[in-house]
Amino acid sequence: MEIAPFLAWLEASGIGQLMRASGVWTYGLVNLAHILGIAMLFGPIFLLDLRLLGVWSSVPLAALSRPCVTLAATGFVLAVASGVPMLAVKATEYAGNPFLLLKFPAIALALVNVALVHRSAAWRAHRHRALTRRERLRLAGGAALSLVFWLAAITGGRMIGYW
Amino acid sequence: MTRRLTAAIAMLAFATPAFAHHGWSGQEGKVTEMTGTVVQGVSLAGPHGTMKVKVKNQVWDITLAPPYRTSQAGLTEGRIPVGATVTVRGNPSLQAGRHEMKTIFVKHGGAEYHVYPERE
Repeated sequence: MEIAPFLAWLEASGIGQLMRASGVWTYGLVNLAHILGIAMLFGPIFLLDLRLLGVWSSVPLAALSRPCVTLAATGFVLAVASGVPMLAVKATEYAGNPFLLLKFPAIALALVNVALVHRSAAWRAHRHRALTRRERLRLAGGAALSLVFWLAAITGGRMIGYW
Repeated sequence: MTRRLTAAIAMLAFATPAFAHHGWSGQEGKVTEMTGTVVQGVSLAGPHGTMKVKVKNQVWDITLAPPYRTSQAGLTEGRIPVGATVTVRGNPSLQAGRHEMKTIFVKHGGAEYHVYPERE
């Protein structure tokens, strides 16, 4: 897959132009929004995944899952909405950045995992009854993958600037 | 179990290697001065101000201070035209084959821009 043409298009786009022409604090403030988005995304995911892996098992899963998923989804939207403009500032400079190639596939895998977990019978069942051992194992597997993918995405993202 | 796990996570979080940063640890300790031609003027978009200067057929990425500090030093976008001769002083990247310099000071004609005065 060629990403260089996409990066060139993004840099030349209106978002890129606006970001480059809107003052010396813009990048920093958008970066702030990105960090808040990531905090809001990963905090609840971390908590929920640990619960699914068997930590704090006395806390009812159904009570935890709804606020965690809502917060994480909000954080994801905020992270994307701030991340795209930051990339657009000088998108072509990231063309050879290996951490970019870690970050975006990791996000894609993380989202596929979210979709698979949410469609599973075990996830649907957790809202109204106690889970069987087998169902708990299914969700624990999803939680482990979730932690791996999101941590890889965050690691890749953080390291982009250090390449 | 929970307490042990929390401790393990905390340790992992603080065990990240201290390698080359946005900071100066990835740069040579020695300050280098060079004179060349501006091929891309100052940009104040992104985490740092940047420009490109050609020195003896080699284009150098000139990394300036963050945008606000660079502009406060008087070095705003469009201040130095493309094609102008400038002298830059700073710390080149330690990475082999990478022509990037974190820049302390830019001189253009009679104008001097001290973007990191505390490093001079």
